Amino acid sequence: MEEKASRATGATDAAHAASLLVTVAATLNERLALTAEELARSQVLLREASAELMTAFRGAADRIVEAQKDEAAQPASRAPDYDVVLDHLYRAVQHLQSHDLVNQLIDAQKMRVDKMREKLGEAISLAGPPVADPGRPEQWIERSRAMLDCIVAGIKQIDEEARQPVAGKKHAGSVDLF
Amino acid sequence: MKTILAVDDSATMREMVAFVLESAGYRVIEAEDGAQGLDRATTTSCDLVITDQNMPNMDGLTLVRSLRELRDYKSVPILLLTTESSDAMKAQGRAAGATGWLVKPFDPATLLEVVQKVLR
Repeated sequence: MEEKASRATGATDAAHAASLLVTVAATLNERLALTAEELARSQVLLREASAELMTAFRGAADRIVEAQKDEAAQPASRAPDYDVVLDHLYRAVQHLQSHDLVNQLIDAQKMRVDKMREKLGEAISLAGPPVADPGRPEQWIERSRAMLDCIVAGIKQIDEEARQPVAGKKHAGSVDLF
Repeated sequence: MKTILAVDDSATMREMVAFVLESAGYRVIEAEDGAQGLDRATTTSCDLVITDQNMPNMDGLTLVRSLRELRDYKSVPILLLTTESSDAMKAQGRAAGATGWLVKPFDPATLLEVVQKVLR
């Protein structure tokens, strides 16, 4: 009789723990959905800014390349401000690359968030079907373990698969000739 | 005029590389992944190949290995221009037959120096 009561309490506690886990996973998933939205919005803004910058850059770059071709044909034809403009464009090249690399970084972060959301969704769906025997704590514990396994697999997956595209500052621009 | 093949899946990056090289008098042809790069390299004779590493269809290291199998590209310099900066990746690049490894974002003046050096 005592053992039966103890198992019933154990089952209630285990069911409560499983339910808490679902709440935590669902809350985390909602927060990640907001993060995904903000990342997407940031990327749109960055893309628009990059596109405008690239248009401005192209206008000047095309002229410089044309001037270079003219100079190759007639060496004395170089405009006096050619080198100054080229220097400015070279500086722009470095910063425009950063725009592109930040875009890739946002892509990688979006992928991490999406993968984690997918796994959290899977974990939550495990809590959907009713347990066969709600009075047995083992069933609730098994369910919680399966959900945790799913979440841990999500964390592992984002660590293994998501790439970090932007090189560390100390390596950026480095050259190795073999 | 020397011809350089620039391979990168980022259109912005290809444009940056092409501008810097063209402004220095090189002719540049572009490809958006390793597979297209290999195709371009076999239809056009290139004096230098500059390739990214992480690309769809065929990555940079596979492109280097594939090019080194071609008779015309046994001794053509091939540079990796990538965000990858680990020693392990560089070692793989060297083993694949790459001539050098540059980490993005690149400095235009440095890129031109390296290009002049490997084309000498």
